[in-house]
Amino acid sequence: MARAADSGAPPGRQWRQSTVLLYLRSLLALAIIWSLIALWVGNHVILPQPTSVAYELFRLIASGEMLVHAAVSLWRLALSYALAALIGIPLGLLMGLWPWASDLLDPVVEILRPISGIAWIPLALFIFGIGNELPIFIITYVALFPFLLNTMAGVRATDRTLVRAARTMGVDQRTIVRHVMIPSALPQILTGARIAGGAAWMSLVAAELIGAPSGLGFAIEWYRQLLMTPKVIAVIVVISLLGYLTDRGLRWLQQRLTPWSTGIGANP
Amino acid sequence: MSQPVPSGPKLRLDGVRKTFTVPRSGATVVAVETADLTIEAGEFLTIVGPSGCGKSTILNMLAGLELPTEGTVAMDGRTITGPAAERGMVFQDYALFPWKTVFENVEFGLRYGPHGKGLSTAERRRRVARCVELVGLGGSEQKYPHELSGGMRQRCGIARLVANEPDVLLMDEPFAALDAQTRIILQEELLRIWGETGNRAERRTVVFITHAIDEAVFLSDRVVVMSAHPGRIIEVLDVGLPRPRTDATRTRPEFQALSQAIWNLIRDEVYRAATAAGSAGGARD
Repeated sequence: MARAADSGAPPGRQWRQSTVLLYLRSLLALAIIWSLIALWVGNHVILPQPTSVAYELFRLIASGEMLVHAAVSLWRLALSYALAALIGIPLGLLMGLWPWASDLLDPVVEILRPISGIAWIPLALFIFGIGNELPIFIITYVALFPFLLNTMAGVRATDRTLVRAARTMGVDQRTIVRHVMIPSALPQILTGARIAGGAAWMSLVAAELIGAPSGLGFAIEWYRQLLMTPKVIAVIVVISLLGYLTDRGLRWLQQRLTPWSTGIGANP
Repeated sequence: MSQPVPSGPKLRLDGVRKTFTVPRSGATVVAVETADLTIEAGEFLTIVGPSGCGKSTILNMLAGLELPTEGTVAMDGRTITGPAAERGMVFQDYALFPWKTVFENVEFGLRYGPHGKGLSTAERRRRVARCVELVGLGGSEQKYPHELSGGMRQRCGIARLVANEPDVLLMDEPFAALDAQTRIILQEELLRIWGETGNRAERRTVVFITHAIDEAVFLSDRVVVMSAHPGRIIEVLDVGLPRPRTDATRTRPEFQALSQAIWNLIRDEVYRAATAAGSAGGARD
């Protein structure tokens, strides 16, 4: 399976090295500009120096507090993400395969889709109160649509000639769904998984800011109230890093599961 | 394979008419106008004609992928109502599954379809390996279609067709997207795979669509010539060139004469289509 990916290994490694360098250079430039602005602002609560953020980040990690918040957030994220996939992918398959299902569900999806997950927070607060349920509900809601819509679009985009080819080999409809339409939709489903991952991280923080007694979002709000800006920014840095790593992981999965799709231009 | 030989023809089109409704305007387009044709078992029959003559529509009806509006299409005397493993097909754009390797593509019909029932995994693998070898793709079993050249992709398409052991081989302009040299090689290989040099009774029935006249003459026992608007059969010609066909076949005077005769039948229409190409837009064949 990995043969296709292996053929590009040497340029891939080169690319990785130069990317790391590029990242470090950009981050260094950002830190310098940030530091200069902080000097100009001259107020530690509004904008602290990057060095004090780095120090607080180190202390939060060393004390284990960051780990606790991150673990809680990641657990909620993973659970909601799995829920969204478990609901979104089958529903997307249903809607992609059968027009009646799409006729029935599409209006509902189209009405709900433009509503931001954040818009549901006040109502969810009313229903669930503060706790795990609220962020899980919000993240599942937000991650559901990329899974659903990409699965549906992927199934619908199945090359008709491939279906015809399978039919002239005498296979039944179930086999066509299982061995033609679903694999053909897989690259797009995985693209949906990445979009869902990004959306999940964004809504996680929003939901925890307001509706949770723990987690990274909660930590931001907690330290804001204590006017401990360096710690607020330290938590933001961790969110950014974890969000980035999540996407890298999903991208790795994409290359792993659909090595063939690099050749047909389905992978970014 | 030893099967009871039915007395009638292998395939039969009886008063077949096919019309399409244009989605926007609701107008009816006649794709095929009352076609009658019989194809004998073991025959290599080619259908040639300009774009829009309905040759692919006829092939799709033989496959069971489309049904006639009027008339019947039958195989061994039984009306064709849908696709089946007895009638395999090769496509112009190869139609290989991009997520499957060469081996898995060739294996598809036997693994998931009715023709592989009763085969053990080892038997199935052996047959697939044999077909891969037969088309000259040995060593490329683990490659994905996107790693292959056009010619190799179509070799894979042919291996997939042959592996499933259909009774009738339907080929929809299989070499149209290939360069001229690759085409010539694959034409000769196709005849070899078909069993040109072997016993006549063991050959499968082939229906081959092309717009290349020399290809039609080189390959076939009979050539069906169609014209467009509406698509209809205007002539059925016996080729009568000796088999096996070789490079020398192409230089024979009969080859040249027959190609010229077919060209004369469709020339006016091809010219007309070429000049009207700008205004016609989206004609299907």
